Amino acid sequence: MSTVDTCHRRLCHTLLDAIERGDLTTVEQCYAPDMTMWANVSGQTSTRDENLATLAAGYGLHRRRTYDDRIVNTFDDGFVAQYTTHVVTHRGVRVALSACLVAEVRDGKITQLFDYLDSGKFRTDGRTRR
Amino acid sequence: MTEYEIRELCEAFFDAYESRRVDELDRLYAEDCIIWHNVFGRETTRDENLAALPDGYKGQRRRTYNDRNINTFHDGFVIQYTLNGVQHSGHCGALWICIVGKVRDGKITRIDEYMDSGKFAAWAGIAGRKARR
Repeated sequence: MSTVDTCHRRLCHTLLDAIERGDLTTVEQCYAPDMTMWANVSGQTSTRDENLATLAAGYGLHRRRTYDDRIVNTFDDGFVAQYTTHVVTHRGVRVALSACLVAEVRDGKITQLFDYLDSGKFRTDGRTRR
Repeated sequence: MTEYEIRELCEAFFDAYESRRVDELDRLYAEDCIIWHNVFGRETTRDENLAALPDGYKGQRRRTYNDRNINTFHDGFVIQYTLNGVQHSGHCGALWICIVGKVRDGKITRIDEYMDSGKFAAWAGIAGRKARR
């Protein structure tokens, strides 16, 4: 029998793997119907449908995006994932962005996501500031 | 450490930060504690962090660490909170921050801090100009 820790870890990796390969069907399956996502960059909360639409629109922005160096810790009703997003732009420039995602989980589905990253690392020329 | 002990340690750390008690922070950090900031992308040692605090506190009239949402795991915690600050000009600003802490034997061994530097200007009340870090 899987422990809560194992289930939450699996859910976390399933979500990030699905986002990475553009598999929005699986992403949708990870989310509860009333799922919401909050981002520290905007201070706004988006719905599940808004989040899925944002993900779909985002895939055209880069050649490739991977979620690497994942450190996942779990607690009773959720998980926290620290990771590095590596982006390859259409011009071949590599960008790295450290991020932290806190998730609340209920009945094997994500009910809320909190996304923390530094918008100061965004640059239009595709390079990061260190 | 039990969940209760980890929560207590986390609360004690933020209470000490808020009340500017560097001696208490010194007690809560393990000897080999490392602090990493996503904004700077580098690690600092415990001693570097403690040495920087007195100057850091001069930046604001008051700082409070509010809306603390803490979850614990077997060797650490994640805390999401709002840092409210009152600048010397009277301007009130807020930053949303997430910290993942690792603990051992009643001490904090590592801190990973995530915030958005894009909010620094609004935090400092100098929107339109680049905030001092």
